[in-house]
Amino acid sequence: MAATLTRAAPATAGGRTHDLIAGARAMAPWLLGIAPYGLVIGISAAQAGIPTLAGWLSGPLVFAGSAQVATIQMLDSGAAPLVAVVAALSVNLRLILYSATMARHWGGTPRWWQALAAYAIVDPSVAVGVDGYERADDRRGGHLRYAGGVATLWVAWVAAITVGATVGTGLPAGLHLEYVVPLFLVGEVVPRLTTRGVRRGVAVAVVFALAGRWIPLHLGVLVAVTGGLVAALAVPEEDDR
Amino acid sequence: MTAFLVVVAVGAGSYLFRISMLVLAARAGLPPVLERAARLAVPVSFAALATGALAEDLAAPGTTLAPVAALVVAVVAVRRTGSPHTALVAGMPTLWLLSAVLPS
Repeated sequence: MAATLTRAAPATAGGRTHDLIAGARAMAPWLLGIAPYGLVIGISAAQAGIPTLAGWLSGPLVFAGSAQVATIQMLDSGAAPLVAVVAALSVNLRLILYSATMARHWGGTPRWWQALAAYAIVDPSVAVGVDGYERADDRRGGHLRYAGGVATLWVAWVAAITVGATVGTGLPAGLHLEYVVPLFLVGEVVPRLTTRGVRRGVAVAVVFALAGRWIPLHLGVLVAVTGGLVAALAVPEEDDR
Repeated sequence: MTAFLVVVAVGAGSYLFRISMLVLAARAGLPPVLERAARLAVPVSFAALATGALAEDLAAPGTTLAPVAALVVAVVAVRRTGSPHTALVAGMPTLWLLSAVLPS
């Protein structure tokens, strides 16, 4: 960062603190939605048939709730390791888009900064980060706002997963927590059914997932994802409204 | 051990996605088809995962209609509110209530 930041106007300690706090405050509204999500992931990690620590580690290592859910769900269902990895990574394809978004702001920064900052690229950090670069007086201020937001997000995310994983093992079977993740996933899909392409892709994925239940190694899910994506992409982009 | 390796592999792959455009940004843009696929991946993948998990749970012996009713309530709740979290807020209590009432 020094290569870039030394070219920027010297910032006071108060200004740096202001930008860090501004980033943390901008992240605060996101935490309302993120905390329950982290709790659900922690509980599902504790309830799944995998070591709770492995599920918990998905927090700091994967740091993307959707892919964490996919990973835990696939492992719990007994999917082959490669199938679980491919399914989880397909959920995270959007991170490539986010990487392109942040690349506009991080051009010319030192590699250590890019390597570190990239670790935290995920939906809320990109939203807060892009907004922070627009609001900050200079690029350094934008970097600090991103850092403040990401630090807040990371602590809250890992804390929520930890709480969920801790209490999750002691919860009675009568709560039917095995339905938490499927219902959660349904909740994430329904609001996204806004375009013809998504609706067709989801419909094909559902049909293929039902038909593919008898495919060994849980490859049925991958077949369903692939079929759904192909069907969605077959809708001409100009018709995909 | 396998679960740990899978988590590490997903973490490593995700990091490669995150750093990819930082490395390539100056050289080439994102292919349009990949950009579109990335937007579609979450709903399509989640639909497949949810269907697979629900079908497996519903096929278990002794399962009542309570999960199906919970699913319907969850979908209606999300459609009405637009908030993904209402799927759990409305669906789980429905499941608990009907599981207590309906015979298995």
